[in-house]
Amino acid sequence: MGIHLPSLLPQMQELGQALYERSLQVSAMIPKAIKALHFTAELDHSELQSKIKKAGNRWTGAIPTEETLNLTFPPPTAPQSLHVIGADGSQIYPDRHAAAFYYLINIGSIVVSHGSGKAPTIQQESQLFFELEDLYDEADHPVQNAYVNLRRDVAEMKILAEIAESLAGEQTLAILDNSLLLWMALQTGGSTSRETDLYLQQYLKLLDRLRSSKTGLAGFIDRPRSVSVLALIHLAGLPDDQITQETLRLTPFRGLTDRAIFTKLLPPGHRSPLFISASPLNRDFRTAGHEVHFFYLNTDADGSVVRVEIPTWVAQDPELLNRVHAGILKDCQTTGGFPYTLVRAHELAVIPAQERAAFEDMLQRTLLGHGLRPTQSQKALTKQLTGQRKQHRL
Amino acid sequence: MPESPMMIGRVTRCSTRGFVGAMQISENALPVFGSLCQAEAQGGRSYVVGLVYDISITDDQFARQLAGLDEVPQEQIADGQLNRQVPVEFSALAVGFHDDDGFHQSLPPQPPLTLASVFSMVPKDGIDFTSELHFLQMILNAPQLPVDELLATTLRLSAQARPEEERERFLLQAGREVARLLAQDLTRLENILRGLRAKE
Repeated sequence: MGIHLPSLLPQMQELGQALYERSLQVSAMIPKAIKALHFTAELDHSELQSKIKKAGNRWTGAIPTEETLNLTFPPPTAPQSLHVIGADGSQIYPDRHAAAFYYLINIGSIVVSHGSGKAPTIQQESQLFFELEDLYDEADHPVQNAYVNLRRDVAEMKILAEIAESLAGEQTLAILDNSLLLWMALQTGGSTSRETDLYLQQYLKLLDRLRSSKTGLAGFIDRPRSVSVLALIHLAGLPDDQITQETLRLTPFRGLTDRAIFTKLLPPGHRSPLFISASPLNRDFRTAGHEVHFFYLNTDADGSVVRVEIPTWVAQDPELLNRVHAGILKDCQTTGGFPYTLVRAHELAVIPAQERAAFEDMLQRTLLGHGLRPTQSQKALTKQLTGQRKQHRL
Repeated sequence: MPESPMMIGRVTRCSTRGFVGAMQISENALPVFGSLCQAEAQGGRSYVVGLVYDISITDDQFARQLAGLDEVPQEQIADGQLNRQVPVEFSALAVGFHDDDGFHQSLPPQPPLTLASVFSMVPKDGIDFTSELHFLQMILNAPQLPVDELLATTLRLSAQARPEEERERFLLQAGREVARLLAQDLTRLENILRGLRAKE
């Protein structure tokens, strides 16, 4: 019958009050965090690196680069002509209650050639996975959704690499609507299976291809919840002899995000200094020459601060770094601080409910055509039946 | 004018009284209000003749957001007009059909089926179809359509499709037929005749 709204009303009031109080606490923390950032910026670089070393491998804060921590970097001039490639993916997850056990990955991509006046080139690729090796892992367990996400992320990067190679020699920027680190996708049941490693290696090879084609590559993360810069400034404020796992956890900035402080610090179009992600996943990327750096960027006059991830070869090449910075801003101009190419790539990738229903009809007809009787589980059928009930309106 | 029919869309909804077609097509390939088109029916044995009376573009929030900006880059305008999945939809009133015996000015025996191809009518066929004017009664009888404007535009386009020396004769003949049909409604008749004269 759905949500019992009357019983939720008191909780809703509590939620509103709690969020209001939290917003007051967070607002009070921001000046302290900014002061702590200035303090961190004054520290000697080697002293800060020594503290980071002492924090150990489990610390997941932001590692500073040579750029001064409390500086902001104004928008560079965008190239006259720039190809911006965007890719995004969606999927139908495997469902044991469905008429057949399969999954589907759909990738949308677009190339907007800024300055050309021409209509962008668009592409959609859909692939169905139904073979036993696609559907079961090494231990013969059905694949998990995270594994499908992993294949989807690799497919997105593959499209970016293929298009970038076709545009080699031209000014090109490739934007992924995700972290470059495959972080979500690698949560495949907490295990790093041989297959997961295989896809990671494929992904790193695709990054090699993007580097060879001299493409500015960026992972775009809207409304980031990351606290890695706050972890750094907390660490910087701890005396060396008090750096322990326990003190590192006791941050005074709990509830605050990096985005909140950079929203105060970054004028429109400016970026933060570069940082390196201390995530353990970044070790594989570093070994392959693609260590992930990031910066925060104010993409909109209304203060829309996003996190932009770039591989080390973009971070260390001023021309590519400026291309990413200026190119993202140019691509965000008409779409409220979110890149136009990603809006369109998402539109091309998404599987609307009607199309999914049409696909499932087609599947059922195909099964019938092969003499198979497509049956959903009783659970799926009863969900459909009860889901059709409408509340009466007076 | 093209001598071979140009495909302008595919049927999405239909009945014997008319059909709705849609397609992603460029601006210069858009069907024109008041023009004749034909859609395949009865497994290719006949064509339903339609008169385009409405052309619309489906609502889209993203396009609305871009439309509200002071300046939209040309690439994004081209993307919106050529790539995005927002088909142009057109509605046509059935005014006749074509089979082995030629054109007939009456409702078709069967409507076209979903996804049937819709073609613009080439001038030669348009002249052939409008050589008889019984279809004017079908336009006048159509409910809730901009009938007067549709009638005047159709006759004007049909005149333009003819050689210059035949145009006046065709319009006079059509004017007489309209006068006969609207003998009881002189105000509407005057409006339509004024519409024809103004655009000659």
